[in-house]
Amino acid sequence: MKLYAQHGFGDGEKISIGLEEGLIEGVVFGAKDISPEKLTEKLVQANELSPNAARLLDPQFYVSLLGGGTNLRSGSLEEYPYFRPYRRSQLELTERVGEVLQGALEFQAGLPLSGIIAPNILISRSFDSAESVIAKNFIRATGARFGKLGDKRPVYATLAVSREALLEKSQLQEFLADITLLDNPPDGFYLLVGASSSQARTEIFHADIIAGWLLLNYSLAINGFEVVNGYADRLTPFLCAVGGTAGCSGWFNTLRTFSLDRFAPAATGGRLPVQRYLSNRLLNRITFIELNGLRLFLPEVVNGLGHDADFPVDEEPQRNREVLQSWEALKALLNGLTAGDVTGNLTKCDAAIAQARDAYARISAARVPLDAKSGADHLEALSEGIKLFRELAEL
Amino acid sequence: MQVAAPTVDQLRLKLPEVTDAVLLKQGGFKAVYRATIGGQVEALKLVHIPKTSEDEAGELFRKECLGRVTREIQVLAECASPLLVKLGSIKASEADFAGERFIVYSEEFLDGPDLRVLIKQAWKPQESELKLLFVCLLKAIQQLWTLPGRLIHRDIKPDNVVRLNKADRPFVLLDLGIAFAVLETSLTLDPRHRLPPGTLPYLAPEMLQPHFRDTIDYRSDLYAAALTVYECAAGHHPFARRPELEFTTLSRVLHESPSPLNAVRADLSKPFCQLVDSMLKKIPALRPANLTMLIRQLEQKA
Repeated sequence: MKLYAQHGFGDGEKISIGLEEGLIEGVVFGAKDISPEKLTEKLVQANELSPNAARLLDPQFYVSLLGGGTNLRSGSLEEYPYFRPYRRSQLELTERVGEVLQGALEFQAGLPLSGIIAPNILISRSFDSAESVIAKNFIRATGARFGKLGDKRPVYATLAVSREALLEKSQLQEFLADITLLDNPPDGFYLLVGASSSQARTEIFHADIIAGWLLLNYSLAINGFEVVNGYADRLTPFLCAVGGTAGCSGWFNTLRTFSLDRFAPAATGGRLPVQRYLSNRLLNRITFIELNGLRLFLPEVVNGLGHDADFPVDEEPQRNREVLQSWEALKALLNGLTAGDVTGNLTKCDAAIAQARDAYARISAARVPLDAKSGADHLEALSEGIKLFRELAEL
Repeated sequence: MQVAAPTVDQLRLKLPEVTDAVLLKQGGFKAVYRATIGGQVEALKLVHIPKTSEDEAGELFRKECLGRVTREIQVLAECASPLLVKLGSIKASEADFAGERFIVYSEEFLDGPDLRVLIKQAWKPQESELKLLFVCLLKAIQQLWTLPGRLIHRDIKPDNVVRLNKADRPFVLLDLGIAFAVLETSLTLDPRHRLPPGTLPYLAPEMLQPHFRDTIDYRSDLYAAALTVYECAAGHHPFARRPELEFTTLSRVLHESPSPLNAVRADLSKPFCQLVDSMLKKIPALRPANLTMLIRQLEQKA
C-alpha cells in the first residue's frame, strides 16, 4: 500500500525531497505540466533518488474530447505525439481506439518509466452510455496492444469516471463484471474519480461516491489487479484498506481532486490558499492558524511526525513545505489502516473515524471556530460510505 | 426420465456389442447404464429425444434437447483435461426403443463414488482434500472456458463430481448436458417463459435474472464450485433446508448470505474459508475470478 505524488504545475523540489525522504513511493507525472524533454530528465532523476519508486505518466488523453484551441488549457500536452483533439464519434471505431493506444503506449515505452498508463476517455455521466462502451474498448485492448510491444513493465488501463456514474450502483456492478473478466487483462488500473470542479470537495466526500470508489478498488483487487488511485489524497488510506495498491496526492487542490476543470481556461485572479496542516486525528486539513489555536488545547491534532516542524508555533509555514507534511501524514495513516485483511482494516477505519468524531466534539464543546473546509462534514460521508461499501461488497 | 428407460433386454437387441448392462440411474431425459463394451466397462448413456411436434414450442424443445446432447458429445470430444469425463467407444447415434427415440453413446466408466454419495455417508473431508477438490473444479472450469465456444458447465453440484482418488484425476467433473456456450448460438429457451435449466439450488444468483444469457460467464460456475466445496465441507447445502420448496431456497440464494464456512467448520483455515465464502457472493464481480491466481493460491496452501 503506497503513496505516490500526483505531479502538476510548480513541482520545484517537492517530489525529489519526497522521494529522498521516503515520504512517497512513486510519482505519477501529468503530461499537461511537463514537457516530454523535461519529463525524461525528471524520470532519470527520480530513478537515481529512489530506484524502487514507481515512475508513471498520466497521458491525460481524457482531455482530448474537450476540443482544442482556446477551449483548452492544455499546457505541454500538445507536445506529446499521441495527443490530439477527438470527437466522441471518432473514438466509437475500435480501430481508432487501437491507434490511439498504440501511439500512447509506444511513446511511453521509450521512456524510463517503471510502468505504463494507457490512455482512455472519461465516463462523464453514466456507465450505460456510449462513453462507457468506448472506455471499455480502451480497457479491453490495453493488455493486447501492450503485449505486442514485448515490454515487460506493468501496464495499467485508465478508468476515469465521474462521480455521477458511480451513483448508479447496478450499472457500476455490471461494468465491474465486464472489466474484471478480460481476455488480455492489463496488470492494473489507474483509477480516477472526477468531480465537476477540483474545489468541489463535498462532491467526492459523499457516501455513495466513497462507497463506489471503495467497491471499484475491492473488486479489482480481488481479481488480481493493481489499483493506482489518482488524486485520491485523504481517501488513499481508505481505498488501500480495501485492496487498492496506491493513492496519489499533490500540492494543490487541483492535484487532490480530479476534475477536467483544470484543463479549462483559468479564471483570472484569486488568492493563494492558506497553508493547511493534515491532522491524522481529524482526518482532515486545518489551517495553520487553527492548528496553532488547537495544539495546546487538543495536542492529539498534531501527528507527532518529523514534518510537524514545518508548521512552527505562531509562524506562517513555508508554502513549499506544506505538501511534505501532507505526504508524511498520509503515509503514517496508510501504514496504520492497511496492515491487515479487508475486514480488519475496515474496523481500523471505523476506529479512526470514531476518534476524529470525538476530537471534533471536543473542539465543538470548547467553541473553537473552524472554517468550513476544516469541519467534520467529511466524517459522516466516510462513515456512511464505508457502511454502504460493506453492504455492496457483501462483507 | 419422463419415458421408461429401455430395459436391458431391449438394449441387448439393439446394441449387440453391449453386454452386462445394469441401469445405474435415470432422471430428466437421460438413463445411464454400466455396461461392458468391447471388453471394457463403460457408462452407456441414452438421452431421450422428444418426438417431432406440430406445436412450435414442442418442436423448439425437441431441437433444444437434440442440440444439448450434440454439444455435450462435441465438447467431451474436444476436452483434453483428465478432470472432465471422457467419451467411450460407442459413438453417438440415434436408436428407437419401444417407439421412443434416443441418442445413444458411451463415456468412460468412472469407478468411484460421486460426492452426493459421500455426503450421505457423513464424509468429513480435511482441508487438503477440499483444496484438491476445489483445484480440480477450477481447472475443469478453466478448460471449458478456454474452448472456442467459451463454455460454462452450469450444473456443477456434488452429484456431478466423482472421486477417483487417482493422482492425476482425484476428482472428475461430468455431465455437460446443459453446458452453455457463450460464443455460440444459445440452446436455452427464452428465460421469460421458464426457469433456466440446471439444478435450482445450485444456480448462481445471476442465472435467475431474465437477461442472464447476455451477461453470464464462468463466474457462475465458480459459484457452483464453491457451493459444492462448501456442501462437502459442511455436510449440508448452505441455503437449502429440508423439507422446503425449492423456491424458498431460491429466495435465500438471492437475498441471504450463507453462514461463513468457518462457522460450521472451525477446524478449517480462515483464508481457505474466506476464499470459499468470497465465491458465494451474489454479484459476479465480487467473486475472485483470476483462475490461474486462484489455483496457485490453493495449491500453495494445499
